[in-house]
Amino acid sequence: MADKSATVYIVDVGRTMGQHHSGRSQSDLDFAMQYVWDKITTTISNGRKTDTVGVIGFRTDYTNNALQADDAYSNISVFKELGQFLMPHVRECTEHLQPSETNRGDGISALVVGIQLIKTFCRHLKYRKSIYLITDGRGSFDTDGLDQIVAQLKSETISLTILGVDFDDAEYGFKEEDKPANKAKTEAVLHQLAEDCSGVFATIAEAIDELVRPRVKEVRPVASYKGTLTLGDPEKFDTAMSIDIERYPRTMLAKPVSASRYVVGPTEGGGVDESMRIDGQGLQAVKQARVYQVPDESAPGGKKDIDKDDMEKGYKYGRTIVPISKIDENVTVYETKPGMEIVGFTEARKYKRFFHMSNTNVIVPQKLNDQAAIALSSLIHTLAEYESYAIVRFVKKANEAPVMIALAPNLEPDFECLIDVQLPFIEDFRPYKFPPLNTVRTVTGKTLSEHRFIPTDDMNVLMSAYVDSMDLSDPSSDGDDFITTEDTFSPILHRVNQIIRYRATHPDSPLPPVPDILMKYSHPPPELIGKSQPHIDALIKACDVKRVTPVLKSRRTREQPKPKSGLDIDELLGISSDQKVRIRISLSNAVAEYKQKISADDADEAVMKEAASEMFNHARELVKTSIADLNYGRARSLLAVVREEMGELEYYGVWNDEFRKLKKDVLGKKLDGDRSDWWEELKRFELGLLEGPREAGGVDWTDAKQFWNP
Amino acid sequence: MSSQNKWAPDDDRIEEEEDEEDLSKYQNQKDAVLFAIHVSSSMLSVPENDADDMDIGSKRKSKKKENQSAVRMALECSNSILQSRIISSPNDMMGILLFGTDKTKAAPGIGGSGGFSHCYSLMELDVPDADGIKQLKALLEDEESYNDILVPSSEQVSMANVLFCANQIFTIKCPNFASRKLFIITDDDDPHATDKALKNSAITRARDLYDLGVIIDPFYISYPGKPGFDPSKFYDDIVYRSPYDDDNDMDPNTSALSGAQRLKEMRTTMLSKSTPKRALFSTKLEIAPGLTIGVKGYLMFKKQEKSRSHYVYTGGEKAQIVEGTTIQLAEYTAQVVEKEEIKKAYKFGGEHIIFTDEEMKEMRRFGEPVIRILGFKPASSLPFDHNVKPASFIYPDEQDFVGSTRTFTALHNKLYNDDKIAIAWAVTRKNAPPVLVALLSSLHDPSEPLPMPSGFFMVQLPFADDIRKNPDVTYNPAPKDLVDAMREIVKQLHIATGYQIEKYENPSLQWHYRILQALALDEDLPDTPIDKTLPKYRLIDKHTGDKVRRWADVFEKYASGMRVKAVKEVKGKRMADIEGGRGSSKKGPAVSGDEAVIQAYRSGTMNKLTVAALKEYLASNGLTATGKKQQLIDATEEFLDAKGF
Repeated sequence: MADKSATVYIVDVGRTMGQHHSGRSQSDLDFAMQYVWDKITTTISNGRKTDTVGVIGFRTDYTNNALQADDAYSNISVFKELGQFLMPHVRECTEHLQPSETNRGDGISALVVGIQLIKTFCRHLKYRKSIYLITDGRGSFDTDGLDQIVAQLKSETISLTILGVDFDDAEYGFKEEDKPANKAKTEAVLHQLAEDCSGVFATIAEAIDELVRPRVKEVRPVASYKGTLTLGDPEKFDTAMSIDIERYPRTMLAKPVSASRYVVGPTEGGGVDESMRIDGQGLQAVKQARVYQVPDESAPGGKKDIDKDDMEKGYKYGRTIVPISKIDENVTVYETKPGMEIVGFTEARKYKRFFHMSNTNVIVPQKLNDQAAIALSSLIHTLAEYESYAIVRFVKKANEAPVMIALAPNLEPDFECLIDVQLPFIEDFRPYKFPPLNTVRTVTGKTLSEHRFIPTDDMNVLMSAYVDSMDLSDPSSDGDDFITTEDTFSPILHRVNQIIRYRATHPDSPLPPVPDILMKYSHPPPELIGKSQPHIDALIKACDVKRVTPVLKSRRTREQPKPKSGLDIDELLGISSDQKVRIRISLSNAVAEYKQKISADDADEAVMKEAASEMFNHARELVKTSIADLNYGRARSLLAVVREEMGELEYYGVWNDEFRKLKKDVLGKKLDGDRSDWWEELKRFELGLLEGPREAGGVDWTDAKQFWNP
Repeated sequence: MSSQNKWAPDDDRIEEEEDEEDLSKYQNQKDAVLFAIHVSSSMLSVPENDADDMDIGSKRKSKKKENQSAVRMALECSNSILQSRIISSPNDMMGILLFGTDKTKAAPGIGGSGGFSHCYSLMELDVPDADGIKQLKALLEDEESYNDILVPSSEQVSMANVLFCANQIFTIKCPNFASRKLFIITDDDDPHATDKALKNSAITRARDLYDLGVIIDPFYISYPGKPGFDPSKFYDDIVYRSPYDDDNDMDPNTSALSGAQRLKEMRTTMLSKSTPKRALFSTKLEIAPGLTIGVKGYLMFKKQEKSRSHYVYTGGEKAQIVEGTTIQLAEYTAQVVEKEEIKKAYKFGGEHIIFTDEEMKEMRRFGEPVIRILGFKPASSLPFDHNVKPASFIYPDEQDFVGSTRTFTALHNKLYNDDKIAIAWAVTRKNAPPVLVALLSSLHDPSEPLPMPSGFFMVQLPFADDIRKNPDVTYNPAPKDLVDAMREIVKQLHIATGYQIEKYENPSLQWHYRILQALALDEDLPDTPIDKTLPKYRLIDKHTGDKVRRWADVFEKYASGMRVKAVKEVKGKRMADIEGGRGSSKKGPAVSGDEAVIQAYRSGTMNKLTVAALKEYLASNGLTATGKKQQLIDATEEFLDAKGF
């Protein structure tokens, strides 16, 4: 676990900090505070009690510090003693950290107060101690006794970082024009101070620039397996080989912090006892309780509550329930012994990279075991030379399911290991079939090599030129790839962190925009695109991809379906469109007949209405005659098809009118009693009013939502 | 921890992952498959040994099941698919309908009391249960009942009738299922050759099925030495394939089974066809600015887990599944909270940072769904360790962009030929968090035992945040001659074919279901698990024995002076001699963090250990590492007690 830490921020709040410089719209203090708040809120989000933070202001209007008896320490105020930093402190400090009315108060004295704060708090205990001094360098910095201060910083092992507003920094490339002489002098003094105690001295703009780069949280490596890697069975054969190894994660998806669920204040109608502990913001956590029931017709509501003790565990085998008592439980567990056992070796080129099923891990020799190290190393180097992987059976813990893994050699400077990744079992593979690319087979079995699904030679040539022009590994000027993993950050993770921290210090502001760095790889590098533009233009022209508009789409699906033979069924049977629209939809074959009726050429709005009404009546009939929920699913399926078709053909009104009538019938209990459970089912499957333009009978989103209310 | 907690079934696991919601919507869709098997005298006849058969089977003795009638084969096949799908998709419905039988039997509630003539409902379309499977097994094993039911009718069965019977079964049993398939297994390519009216009527009924959303998948049986099955006579008029339908991959040649072809082949084909291809997402692929096509993504690899366990109540007449309902309660007032009242907040600095629903959504918004190619790299530049989850597969889709397939293919050709990959920014679904992916081309190779489709596999790349730092280990590379010795060993155990998925069954999963099946069907419990993942120890010894000994000799040369003996390289007499000469260095626990724990245990100073040390020790020994310090100490002591330290 990380060490305990004590960090003190000493912030200059003198009157000059309220000024604006270098063409910034923010005051110098606001500008500098971006950095301080970012640091503090990052600490808060770690949520550790042992990460302590203190805040001191100098050039404050008043004085409040342990050394204030001495005049030299006037106009220095401790805003926050060392301790965990919580939300109330955020609000307090925000209030205090405003430009004062004075320029009195000494920066070096403030540093002494800071050292004192740390000394008193940490005593002899082990802490990571640091002080950040933030100033515009326009106030007083009394250099008397600076040597002692340096000595103290060193003996207390406090690291000092001095960040100045508009300090000159040749390396960063900043020089302030018209710098006041005393500021220049102060900068020199502070620079020297930082150097003397091996601290950091920088212009704050540089520090703020660096904030843009998200910080990657380091996780201490924890072994997920400590055991052996074996070749052969050491229990049965004297020629088996066994190496002590440990396994640590190499990749692991970092998840964004998750939100917890709360309910605001006391719930409705609840006469809440004031003594109950509800959090200061009026929030209480939401807990979950489970109720266990089985269907029982004799019980009220058709369900009987079951006591937890009366339940067994079980599995379903199809529809059959197989109860498995506690004793039997062991029977279904396949007994295994932990271990990594080599099955064989295979060449890397015969391995399909997309077999990778999991995150990856590193396999290293047991700690402090040089013998294991050379043994494992001989395998790593052999695999590297042969460009081969080991295929291995792995059981992590006793009685856990075995998995197959591949081990690949990995050689880094001063580090070598095997990388493992899980391989698929046959059960993990879904044998989906897809038509081949580059050939099209007609229904008659003929193979075509020219078809609108097959690229022309021209397209292939242009695509090739385009791909070649967009090579990411092609070094532009500085020899780096365009995208390197170290530079890519999880957008969701850092976005959530950014927003929480921002909201903590800006409770009333709207959400900030997504930082550019998180969106950096959302588009191809502009310099590559610029270069490739001629290829792109030619390629677009050759491919001639056309977007299908919704109208076209519905027309496309409206074509009369034809079987493989291409037979025109209407013609075969001699049914005219006129006859089709007059079909009365039967209950037994409702869906097919409905679709056929509305797809007739003569189907106009009146036909649509009639067809919908017929379907709704069938659904009503099904519900009316339904014993409990027996026919509900079927009734719903009739409505679902009408809704889908009417939505697609944009006859929103036809559906909506019928559906409104249905609601009345359900609420009026006209479908043989209370059928509100069926209504709930329709709601659950989102079969409500169709949204769409009002002139076509559609409703808007809110109306559609409200319609579900009784 | 109470024992009750330990075996709480999966029902009680309450998921809070909001990201996954969309996904589960896709995955919870159910399928129904109805096998319609044609019963006729030709379908029931057992074929003579043909030339083909002699060739393959001449050396084998067991020919008992070599020759089967097409009906028996179809039934065996259905049975096998039934048992396999009960594992892979436990909520799906399956049924068997025989047609052309002398007898008529209606499924309950379908076709009135009389049913459809010469249609025999052998197994009702439903989620299969133990009784149904037992009955089917009994039929296959018991000659008498087999011969009783499987009698062909003397008159021609009306295909219109069969199709409408299927229509009614699907309409009533599974009206809202996402995918409904009708397999027709027959050898009669022209059932209504002489009766045009009956043929037309069948064509109409087939169209009804199409409109209902049922897909007909015929399985043609043909016999060697006789004219092949000609689908153009009848079946091409009743089978629908949309040009945009991905399922358009039927090859009439492969589906025509000759009598000599084995059950296995039929089973494989049917099994793969009975798995509906379901897209995980459907989105745009932006190949270049201004060049966008449509693609669909599929999950071809997914860890298959055991089915969920449930709470079961056995107090009633029959075992019942207990339904658990979750109620949300306010923590202190203990009042029931409605879903709408729940607010999301983040804990921060001892308080809660609250956001409106709109803000919660905005937080996750990074633009519209798209897979946007950023550029290309050599395939070799994709590191082995850059992986976080199984790859998905993407394939072009013409639905929204005409010309997608040709453009996709042109890109695929280039990347495959030049062994390159594309790097892309991917938001696959609305509000899905963006990720960076690599697109790897794969090419269908029919010579492989388990050919992969042509298209792109999409590998999610780790961000800097997802990569862990290396553990601290001493760097101690092997001397050259030790590597030389190892090389000889590795050479011997070369798997020439690479890793072949079809050779590895998940032993744990198979065992679980074998036991479940035995319990459900009241069969004897099997006693020997089949585990195809175990190394071939005997062969390893045979091929590498000498080489390992040689390696061990080299190893000893270097190892003797090194710290910690923990490599137990060679067991047995020969090594024991060497070992004897060197005394105690072989045995004894490794000095590491573990040592400190064991020492503290021995000296009774467990309290002095840090929580972190205890946790690590517990975790690395496969124990639960949660709780207060005292609990951790207790757990550690218990463990070490048991080990007899």
